[in-house]
Formats: sequence, structure tokens, C-alpha cells
Amino acid sequence: MKTARLPADSSKRFVVDIDRFQGPLELLLHLIREQDVDIFDIPISRITNQFLEVVREIEAHDLDSAGSFLEMAATLVRIKAQMILPRPSEEEDEDPRAELVRRLLEYEQIREITLRLGRAEAERARRRSKGYLEARPRPSFEDVPLETEWEEVLAAALDVRLPEPFDSDHRVTPRTVSMEEKSQLILTSLGSGTGVEFRRLLEPFREKIHGVMTFLAGLELSRRRRILLRQSGPFKELWIYRRDEDDASDDATTDPPIHPDSTVPDPNGER
Amino acid sequence: MKPHQIIEAVLFASDAPLRSDEIARADESLDEDVVERSLEELRTFYLESERAYDLVELAEGYQILTRPEFVPYLERFDNVPRPSRLSGPALEALAIIAYRQPIGRLEVEHIRGVGSSGVIRTLQDRGLVEVVGRSEGLGRPLLYGTTTRFLEHFGFQSLEDLPRPEDLPVVLRDRTAPIFPEDEGEDVQDQ
Repeated sequence: MKTARLPADSSKRFVVDIDRFQGPLELLLHLIREQDVDIFDIPISRITNQFLEVVREIEAHDLDSAGSFLEMAATLVRIKAQMILPRPSEEEDEDPRAELVRRLLEYEQIREITLRLGRAEAERARRRSKGYLEARPRPSFEDVPLETEWEEVLAAALDVRLPEPFDSDHRVTPRTVSMEEKSQLILTSLGSGTGVEFRRLLEPFREKIHGVMTFLAGLELSRRRRILLRQSGPFKELWIYRRDEDDASDDATTDPPIHPDSTVPDPNGER
Repeated sequence: MKPHQIIEAVLFASDAPLRSDEIARADESLDEDVVERSLEELRTFYLESERAYDLVELAEGYQILTRPEFVPYLERFDNVPRPSRLSGPALEALAIIAYRQPIGRLEVEHIRGVGSSGVIRTLQDRGLVEVVGRSEGLGRPLLYGTTTRFLEHFGFQSLEDLPRPEDLPVVLRDRTAPIFPEDEGEDVQDQ
């Protein structure tokens, strides 16, 4: 907390908590109110000196917030100078303090309204609307009584089957599944028959990489016009057919040579 | 169904204030007059039957809210954060915007005597103020005004509910205080 000693004009000395003040206007109002001086007849010299004293303390602490205070200090010094200088005619010239007084009054009005808004806010916060309380407050884990019996735990433990022992060293192995290998698999599977289900080619394997590589190999062979891929619709079985050499130049919409059964889709439904 | 029952159902299910014309949309038998009359019936009924809630006029609409005296009981359910209050600087900037809207940032800063872009952004983030236009002045600065959310947050029915200048302490009233300008729509001066 930053504090600044406020030099009072008399023997009275008090400490000003700078953090309490949002800005120079508030500090100025505080100085004026604290010493019970008439806001319409501010003893500008005294107030200016006090203000400068406090600002010096702020500067030492917090250069960032000092800017607006320094600006006000400059204004005060200017007004002080104008007050000292003899004015040509009393009637024409406005009191140099007038603008400052106007701002101070305006600011004090805002302070009052701010207080009232704060009270309205507090009063409104005492009323609650639907949804203020959560529908189902979730109890924390510690609050939920543990209902599991030890026998259940034991039974569960006895049910556990240990996995086959395996080499505990973690080893990063290079990818052993190649597209060439899968291309060969596709072609040899097609070797005797004319069509084969994609799913069949994956059956011996469990890892996903085999599915991926087989699919890629299928696409590649299809691109090279060695095979035809047929599927009757999304998520339906994917069929792979051999494409005969003499078909190679044919359009892709050519019927596959032989349909293994009646469920084979219309080749026009090719996807 | 009786009109006041329909209206009660609508208000019960809502967690925000509803205007009477919005409530009237619930059924062909309703129009704003019927709604207003039925709302009055409901309000009287809630009062007489000592409900823990009542019908509150809020943000140009109506909402069923618990009565203030029950807040200590609700606050025991500390599973929800309390409705957060605004900081002093934010309230101050909001007060200026509420009374002087539409108003630019520079004028807010001039009245407060300190930079205010941070607090104005906070007020925008909380949905209490919004950009309502641009000033004709140099650089066409943004002008801010308060939102419906502002009325809700402070429990005001409309901007008319804001504390009146004549309610403020005498010392301020005696003098010409230009905070409530007579000529509205005056261009914002950037100083």
C-alpha cells in the first residue's frame, strides 16, 4: 500500500492512502473536504502546495499513475499564478478557479451517483432469478460414501487375468508393412478368383496399419488399372476385382468381368 | 387456461426479464393490456399468499425474482459464485456514461481526471455498455451508451429510474452543474 504524508497547514499531520484515490480530482476533493474549506473560495495557494507534496510521494512510488496527477498539479500552479497576477478589471475576467470548481462539482456529483449506483447494485444482488442455484450440485468425491465391500474388491482381483508376459522394453520399430507387400497380397488373392472382399485381406492382421496400407495399395493398383474397386454405398463391403489386360484401355464404368453373387452392386454406383 | 396462468408459466420458465409484448406472444387470447392486468393480479396474489418471490419490473420487462430477505438462505449454497460487483473505477465510469450517453471515452476521462480505456473495456466485456455510434467530432470517436443488461444488473426499470439530479445533495444542486445538459444530442466535445 502506498501512502503519502499530507502536510497540513497547521500542526495537524495525516497520512493519505494514495491507493484510495482514483485520480487527481478525488484527491483534490479530499483535501478540500478534509480541511473544511469552501469549494467556491478555494485557498488555491495552500491546496496547491499540499497537492504537490502528495504528488511528489506518488512519483517516487508509481510513475505510471503519476501522469494525471502531474497534469492537475500543473493546472493548480497555473491557477495560483493567475491569482497572484493583478487582473486588469475584476468584472470582465472570470475567476481563474471557476473552471476547476466546475469540474470538482461535476466530479463530486459523479461520486454521489456512483455511490447510489453501488447501493442499487447491492440491493439488486439480493434478488435471485431462476438458475441461481445449479440444478444438481455435484458432491465432491470425498463426500460420496464408499459402498464397495472388500469381498468385491477381492473377487475382482481374482478375476484379473494377467496378460501374456511380454518384452517390457519399449521398442520403436520401423514400419514393417509396405505397400508393395500389400499390392502383392491383393494380386495373389485375386490370382485364382475374379473378386475378393477387402475385409478378407485384413482378416489375418489386427493392427490398423495393415488396413491403411492395404487400402492405399488398392488405390494405387486401381490407378494403375490393374484392379477395379466397387462399393454399393457408404460403409458397404468393398470389393476388389481383377481388371483384365484387354480391359485396361476401357472406360472405368465397364462392368467387372464376373459378379460373384447377386448382391454385387451396379457398377454405375461406383464410388 | 386463464391469462394469468399462461403468463405465470411463461415468466416461471424464463431466467431473464420479458416485456409485456413478448409475453403476449404466448397465446392469441393475450394482448399487452390483458398481460399488464394479469401481471397486476399475479403480483397481488404473490404478495397476499406470502410467496418467497415476487414479480419485479426490470429492464422494461417483468421477471419473477426471490424477495431480498431470502438471500441469506440462498447464499448458503456456495456452489455458485456470488453475483460479482463492479469495482469503484468501473462504477464511476459507468455512472458518467449512464448520465451523459452517448459519450466518448475522452469526455469520460476528462470528467474523471484519469485514463479510462481499461474500465470502459471492462464495462463492455460485462455487457453493461456498448458502442452506440460515432461522434461528429475530430477523428469521429466512438460513443458509448448503456445496455439492457445495465438496467437488469442495477434493478432499474428504465433509465428514468436513475437517481434524479434533484435528489442529490443540495450543495451540488444549487450550482449550474452541466452534467445533465438541457439540450440533448449535443455533440461530444473532445478535450
